[in-house]
Amino acid sequence: MILLAHILLPFTYILLALLIKKASIKSRLAVLFATFNLLWALALLPIVQFKDIIVVQVGGWAAPYGISLVADRFSVFMLIMTAIVFFLVTIYATQSVDKARRKSGHFFFTFGILMGVNGSFIAGDIFNLYVWYEVMLMSSFILMSLGGERAQMEGSIKYLILNLISALFFVSGVGLLYGNLGTLNMADLSAIISEKSHMLTHLNPALILMVVSFAIKGALVPFFFWLPASYHTPPPAVSALLAGLLTKVGIYSLIRFYTLFLYHDAPFWNQLILWMGVLSMVIGVFAASSQFDFRKILSFHIISQVGYVVIGLGFYTVSGIAAAIFFLAHNMLSKTNAFLVAGWVKRQKGTLNLKTLGEVYKESPVWGVLFFISAFSLAGLPPLSGFIGKYLIIKAGIEANYIVVALIALFVGLFTLFSMVKIWLEVFWKDVPKDRVVKIPEKKRKSQYMLTASIIMAILIVAMGLWAQPIVTYCEQAAVDLLNPELYIDRVLNFSR
Amino acid sequence: MELIIAIFIGLMFSCGVYLILRRSIVKVILGIFVLSNAANLIIFLAGGITKSEVAFIPHGEQTLDPALINDPVAQVLVIKSIVIGLGIAAYILALKYRYFEVTGTHDLDSLKNTDQR
Repeated sequence: MILLAHILLPFTYILLALLIKKASIKSRLAVLFATFNLLWALALLPIVQFKDIIVVQVGGWAAPYGISLVADRFSVFMLIMTAIVFFLVTIYATQSVDKARRKSGHFFFTFGILMGVNGSFIAGDIFNLYVWYEVMLMSSFILMSLGGERAQMEGSIKYLILNLISALFFVSGVGLLYGNLGTLNMADLSAIISEKSHMLTHLNPALILMVVSFAIKGALVPFFFWLPASYHTPPPAVSALLAGLLTKVGIYSLIRFYTLFLYHDAPFWNQLILWMGVLSMVIGVFAASSQFDFRKILSFHIISQVGYVVIGLGFYTVSGIAAAIFFLAHNMLSKTNAFLVAGWVKRQKGTLNLKTLGEVYKESPVWGVLFFISAFSLAGLPPLSGFIGKYLIIKAGIEANYIVVALIALFVGLFTLFSMVKIWLEVFWKDVPKDRVVKIPEKKRKSQYMLTASIIMAILIVAMGLWAQPIVTYCEQAAVDLLNPELYIDRVLNFSR
Repeated sequence: MELIIAIFIGLMFSCGVYLILRRSIVKVILGIFVLSNAANLIIFLAGGITKSEVAFIPHGEQTLDPALINDPVAQVLVIKSIVIGLGIAAYILALKYRYFEVTGTHDLDSLKNTDQR
């Protein structure tokens, strides 16, 4: 039952939010529930670390027939990072999002996203995973368009259509897989596939459909076009949440699928995944360097950084997957914080166009430092978390004899640094251009909660870099678990109570 | 029977792809509907098409011979995904309506303001 709380907590908030009318009470309740969610996720950590994988068979039906919820080390780590990001973004949103949006259900739908994301991290059944995806996507569609500004409408139509196409791929894949093997429980599927190794090519159509769907959700090259077209349109608190959580779910599922099914046909998948990652890295960073909008640069960087995670998976060694998990967690924090700073700049200056901004550092050194920390963590400067993440990935690449890939990763890091310096110089450092008249809101609005959330996140980024050792050890244990799926299969299928 | 349904699914997929390549947003949305129904049919087909009883255990009995019934799981999955499709259809039409109110156009080419250049 312990895992169900991750679904029931957000759901309880959703029910309560229907009854409450006042925006301020809704916000406070949201922070309260986000705290509960965080505490609950942390409570799971000692169980998976010292005891065993947590398995819950919903409704008491035995494994291949009922719905299994499974949490191993990797899932719990992702649950904790999600909870942290969600908690901080919720605090930030209580002040950043305008009252009309908060009143008409901003938190309602962010909790929908939380429910979907938590559900996808613990789903042990492919169809269940699809349902959580839909919960998450429906909420994100609505958040994307909530408010009804013109740019939002355009962004959400593109986001909607391309993500629906990815959902269609996924459903078709589920259908083909079920037709072939007659089960959708991931552990059961993995067991069947490892018994019948001759069926692999037979299953490839279904698996390719699903991997393409994950690649669309995870914004990998060549399926990323929806992301930079839509992530800069909603309110900043929304894009921070989406950037921090949604693409990571696609990548999580890819890692899960790879370590349970795809590795049986490694010669086919390994190179495909690896080079998809490399291309995402390179194309994302080049496209980011050419942009002139704060949030668009960050959006393209999501693509580039997802590529790093995927090449870590493509190495398929313990250190490679451990590096991928660490990098995923680091990226959730650093990327979200960069978006939070963008939200503050937008609130103060009313625009995020790099050409019209300037001198923000003079105005508020604190936010300057916060941006500095998250941006240079993304670029991979020591002692921040991004340095450890990139170091681990490049080291894993050299150990796995993918020297060229490791060198490309280093080279991409240089360009990441370039575009981060570009934002830093244009937004925070240079003088405000004289010829550009910008309408600045006269009354400076308060932003203490926004600041608190962003400071906590920056502290976490620094802490994750300085005290990386225990986290890396945990990630390595998680990677060992992932590389030996027998334990996972055994725990799910032989669950007895 | 399976072959006929398979060909029909193929036809639906091609209609759907044709529709989502159109310029009008309404036609793209219709294409999404057609495609999602085609995907539902794939799951339906995965359960196998046989002439058989409903998957209910008769009153007073404990078990049922699996040879007598059709695979109920596939049908459950189809129902779930039809319901999800229904919710999405309602939302996407509402979004389209609002978009039309804001901009007064059906043309996908007018959507390029938020694109990367």
